Amino acid sequence: MCYNMENKHMFAILAREQYLIIDRMVRNMVLQERLSLEEKLRILSDAAKYDVACTSSGVERAGNGKDLGNAAACGICHSFAADGRCISLLKILYTNECVFDCKYCLNRSSNDIERATFTPEEICTLTMEFYRRNYIEGLFLSSGVLRSPNETMEKIVQTLQLLRVKYRFNGYIHCKAIPGASEDLIEAAGWFADRMSINMELPTAEGLKALAPHKTRRTILTPMRKIQLGIEESRAALGMMGGNEGAYRVTQKRLYESTGGRLGTSKEQRGTISEGTLKLLEEGGIPGKPGNEKRSEGTGAHSQRNTRSRTEQTDILREGESAAEEVLLERAGNRMLRPDKLGAARGFAAAGQSTQMIIGATGESDYQILSVAEALYQKFDLKRVFYSAFIRVNDDSALPEIPGGPPLLREHRLYQADWLLRYYGFEAEELLTEQKPNFNVFLDPKCDWALRNLEQFPVEVNRADYFTLLRVPGIGTRSAGRIVRARQNGTLRFEDLKKARSGAETGYLFYYLCRKDDVSCEDRGELHYESTAGAERPAEAVQGRFHDLSAVVFVRRCSIWTV
Amino acid sequence: MRVYLCEDSVDGIFTGVYDAWASRLGHDNVKLLAQSGEVYEPELFCEYQRVETDPEKAGKVLKTIRNRISEYAAQMLIRACCSADEEKADDIYRFIVLGLNMGRRTSDQLSDPHVMSIFEKDRQVGNEAHHYLGFLRFSRVKEGVLFAEFEPKGDITAIVAPHFADRLPDENFIICDRRRRKAAVHPAGDQWFLTEVSEELLQKMEESSDRGDEYRNLWKVFFTSIGIEERRNEKLQNNLLPKRFRSMMTEFQIYE
Repeated sequence: MCYNMENKHMFAILAREQYLIIDRMVRNMVLQERLSLEEKLRILSDAAKYDVACTSSGVERAGNGKDLGNAAACGICHSFAADGRCISLLKILYTNECVFDCKYCLNRSSNDIERATFTPEEICTLTMEFYRRNYIEGLFLSSGVLRSPNETMEKIVQTLQLLRVKYRFNGYIHCKAIPGASEDLIEAAGWFADRMSINMELPTAEGLKALAPHKTRRTILTPMRKIQLGIEESRAALGMMGGNEGAYRVTQKRLYESTGGRLGTSKEQRGTISEGTLKLLEEGGIPGKPGNEKRSEGTGAHSQRNTRSRTEQTDILREGESAAEEVLLERAGNRMLRPDKLGAARGFAAAGQSTQMIIGATGESDYQILSVAEALYQKFDLKRVFYSAFIRVNDDSALPEIPGGPPLLREHRLYQADWLLRYYGFEAEELLTEQKPNFNVFLDPKCDWALRNLEQFPVEVNRADYFTLLRVPGIGTRSAGRIVRARQNGTLRFEDLKKARSGAETGYLFYYLCRKDDVSCEDRGELHYESTAGAERPAEAVQGRFHDLSAVVFVRRCSIWTV
Repeated sequence: MRVYLCEDSVDGIFTGVYDAWASRLGHDNVKLLAQSGEVYEPELFCEYQRVETDPEKAGKVLKTIRNRISEYAAQMLIRACCSADEEKADDIYRFIVLGLNMGRRTSDQLSDPHVMSIFEKDRQVGNEAHHYLGFLRFSRVKEGVLFAEFEPKGDITAIVAPHFADRLPDENFIICDRRRRKAAVHPAGDQWFLTEVSEELLQKMEESSDRGDEYRNLWKVFFTSIGIEERRNEKLQNNLLPKRFRSMMTEFQIYE
């Protein structure tokens, strides 16, 4: 098995550092006993803070009337730290001891820092008591690598089991998979957790090699694939538990419609495509763009699977939980572990899988990053890809100096583009190309795209389909849906859009109501001409024509662009 | 013009709707006002009539909304009733008048000013309630009771309570709206209920709520260490967690 080979390789490297590590471990063991719970919490939350995901969304689970906890699909933010990031989960490491030496990481083995390790009981008590007081939505448990990946993963699983079975905690759990841990352990964790994640760390294989010598694409993608299979099996056998839908389904639907709705046939075909991409990702290149055929196959299989799982779901629920377990076992041909009863009621990582990439530590372009993200959505069925602006916590010559602080604006643009990928039906290649590989930091990606594609505007709000509306700057998924519903009752005028807070203020340039009393046909032609010319200086092009306040808002946005 | 003054509650407003409708004065000649106190600036040529809250009448109105408009509209209107805005009662009346003609599509009719107003109030109340699902803080009172207090703009105690009853089924807890002196009380393993809270009782609760709870301190430690100094952004923090919420939140209570 691949991960075993990786382990051997890893231990060869470790042998050289063995003395140092053992020495420090002994030192720490002495220290450990003196650490209070407060000190451990301070050290291990401080060490966990660079993990980005703190979402508690994606799974809806009502309380069972007895045990502590439930989960809300929308997610609930409980506080916001001084950096403005949401605090929703008790985000901690099991330990910040680590045998890996990733150059960007505070907890790397060669750093001489305070080390601490929780006991599983301590984590459970903290989670339960914080949850009772409504401080948190659940637990986010990650860890440094204690001695070996398997040993660490075992500790994590043990903690989750204790929390779910003994403490009967029914809230949200996000669990990190440790790269190189055995498949069985990862699967066991998946039955206890609501979300699983394993970090990509860096967008390219070369970057990973340079900065994280103990991790490889394979040790990361193998568990990721394993989790994906677990989620698929769980969906097929138990149904969409907690409303676990694919995050990429919206864009998939659009692509499916645009290819004329050809259905794919077998799951095997999908399997081969995925393996191909897996290989591509491992080899480190930008994953190739799949052709239309492949895409529609994926979508077809997706929708087929849904109907299948729904019917099976009703059957299964009738037969009770034990039957569900049997189906799981049968389906998996003993590959899957037998889930505990709680697990069967929750499903396998019902809130899906996520990952994160560090932005700006190695020299990738936004185009490369976004293409990797798109491939992960398409091929690994991820729920989220998180982007983390690189913070230089270690003084290492392999790391770049960033004088202006972490590239937060770049990170922000990537998140915006990520939303365009998942909910707006955009493809990475529409937003960026090899010729234009980076986002304009002064303009949001959608506005940027719209200015480069002015020939697609103005849009007639009363007739344009949902996905076309979504492409208008200023209109989001909610307001597009609202427009589609509201226009069934009559023709919409600009005032209506403004009242409905439809984003009309920002998008005025782009959609132009084709109504005789608003504007003559000549004017419309003129506008089109002007806005095409306006691609270069949109601010002036608009200023001359519209005196409406709403247009000024758009102008103000553009003026940054023209500077 | 006859103005119906109704109690500021779901039942009160719905009773007002019933009475205004039953008066047969015509929709243009009636107005609703959700106000329990005196009218300080009465309008000219208006006749003011106080509405006696009657749960039976309110129930009939609610049933009519559910049957003739939609369940969704009923939810919207109930939430709008919880809004702090005084004009809401009349908008609710107009919404129902329109709804009985239009049926299910009423709530999508956003170009109608009254529908829009209800839509906005529903959203406002819903957003505030959602915020408090996260921002509410319990602390332990000595007798094993979790006690939380808040000062919401809208009357949302009854909206947030079911969430916590579902989440903490085996806990005794009290969620107290300080401004309105009302509380949702949940005995462990039982149904929750709404009750009024006297000044003395509130004071007693606040005194006995356990300030020495070690988890309060642990939470503050966590809250401080989880922030990344290099990304410090107080403006963003203020946007996402407005200051009005903070006085009741453990992590912002510096002095114990």
